[in-house]
Amino acid sequence: MTRLSAAFGRVLNALAIVGALILLGMVAIVTADVVLRNAVGVGIVWANEVSEYALYVMTLLTAPWLLRRGQHVRLDVVLTLVPARVAWLMEAAGDVLGFAVSIVLIRYGALMTLDSWRLGAITIKNLVFPEWWLLVFLPATFALLAVEFVFRFDRLLKGGRARRIEATSVS
Amino acid sequence: MSWVEGSILLFGGLVAAMAVGMPVAFAFLLLNVIGAVLFLGGEPGLAQLARNAVQSVTSFSLTPIPFFVLMGEVLFHTGVALKAIDAFALLIRRVPGRLAVIAIIAGTVFSAISGSTIATTALLGSLMLPTMLARGYDPRMAMGPIIGIGGVDMLIPPSALTVLLGSLAGISIAGLLIAGIVPGLILSAMYVSYIIVRAAMDPTLAPERPVQELPADERPRGAGRWLPFAIHVVPLVLIFGLVIGAMTGGLATPTEAAAVGAAGTIAAAALYRSLTPANLMKALTGTVAVSGTILFIIVGATTFSQVLSFSGVVDGLIGQVTGLGLSPNVLIVAMLLILLFLGCFVDQVSMMLITLPFFMPLIQRYDVDLIWFGVLFLICMQLGLLTPPFGLLLFTMKGVAPPAITMHQVYAAALPYIAMSLLILVLIFFLPVIATWLPALLSR
Repeated sequence: MTRLSAAFGRVLNALAIVGALILLGMVAIVTADVVLRNAVGVGIVWANEVSEYALYVMTLLTAPWLLRRGQHVRLDVVLTLVPARVAWLMEAAGDVLGFAVSIVLIRYGALMTLDSWRLGAITIKNLVFPEWWLLVFLPATFALLAVEFVFRFDRLLKGGRARRIEATSVS
Repeated sequence: MSWVEGSILLFGGLVAAMAVGMPVAFAFLLLNVIGAVLFLGGEPGLAQLARNAVQSVTSFSLTPIPFFVLMGEVLFHTGVALKAIDAFALLIRRVPGRLAVIAIIAGTVFSAISGSTIATTALLGSLMLPTMLARGYDPRMAMGPIIGIGGVDMLIPPSALTVLLGSLAGISIAGLLIAGIVPGLILSAMYVSYIIVRAAMDPTLAPERPVQELPADERPRGAGRWLPFAIHVVPLVLIFGLVIGAMTGGLATPTEAAAVGAAGTIAAAALYRSLTPANLMKALTGTVAVSGTILFIIVGATTFSQVLSFSGVVDGLIGQVTGLGLSPNVLIVAMLLILLFLGCFVDQVSMMLITLPFFMPLIQRYDVDLIWFGVLFLICMQLGLLTPPFGLLLFTMKGVAPPAITMHQVYAAALPYIAMSLLILVLIFFLPVIATWLPALLSR
């Protein structure tokens, strides 16, 4: 289980690097659009649209990695007040609920994607492409999150009977 | 189900899910799944939930968030910020509480190029706190300014959370970003005045050596004093000017201005020969971590306002509040008190997601100036970073302070700065022009 988890962690790290490179690409494309538009009067017409899609893809690609690193913000007010063993049980309940929610999102995300594929739905803005290309990221991300919740739960079982130390703000 | 039962279920459920320590994004998702089953018609509601999750962050108005965060991350990971602090140290030499004043002024300039409050506090805390303590500064005098200026970062653009507030509340993002400048600068000026007065009244709080006794590298003369400022600070201010100028001059949207700012910061770091592939990658992954956290909460929470609305909770509560016949001002005071209370316990993104579905319809019904309200909201969020027991900047400071510093000392250090932030909140409440003047002037 530990080796599997470590291998999965490497996949999540790779996805985060892809997210980081997408961000760099967004900066380059949007900046090039502004500079060209103001310098020669013609910008990159699809720049804004691509940056919207990129924001969505980047957010989803990094979500499982953030869960692995304990960086998804949470409140630990109650966890710090209750006895360590109770906090540990609460952590376990949180993982089970997180896993359950991920399964629901996999199911409905997959149905949404399949429907769109069956209907041949097309996204038509400046770029024209099948809508499911975008939608598929949602169920895929929640599948990764569900797996990570399993590893997270496993780490909790193997660790000390106490709460985790994780991020509580994003500011 | 009545709106009262609905609100107990939805808010009680959200509080319970957050209390067990579920990440905020998943706590919202859990309640959205329950809400979709109960109030949005089951299967169609759950399908809608998935659709909303996709649309939530496929949004041009949210794109400035990673760009603004990236500006700060590049500044810090490439070490460009260190040279800027040194440049200030050469210029500010004959004031009481000198190092604390330098922390505030350097922090204000960093705020103008960084969208991340925690980065500002951590950087100034780790760099300047040891020096101040080594020179015999009282811990309160050493830590307070750094905690305070971290909060100002949220007000002075670029600010990731301002973009989020504008986007979620339907307030002009460019207007709100610009509206934060004057209150942020006033707050910085108040902090500097406070430090000077306190240090002048009681020099033991901030013992200063005469200029001739400063280390040799802190007392050059003539051009040697100003050159580092011109090289290491002026370009940063120019990037800030570029972002704000592009936005207000109609050359670029907030997203585009933010991208240009991020590209400008990377270019500046490269020109300083401080940019390496490794620190650029660190800045990029740091950025996707911070902005990914914020945006994934939006993915999780996006259906919550819809669930609240369909369950009748929003209409019920708003009907109840408007039935009380309160004046708009009383209502806003009540909202600010709720925000200040929430700020003591809840993170800034959750504060917005929980309150805005109720606040914004009321604000619009009473025809309240949106920019003014937005700035008051921002100051409450900024205060949430400073207020005990869980203010994030207090813990950030504790994290970078020497082990001998206790949490009580950190709380005591923050108190005057909390008081000054409350004062600016009251000032802007009574004199909205402080917030609305600059956006009105620049939009002409």
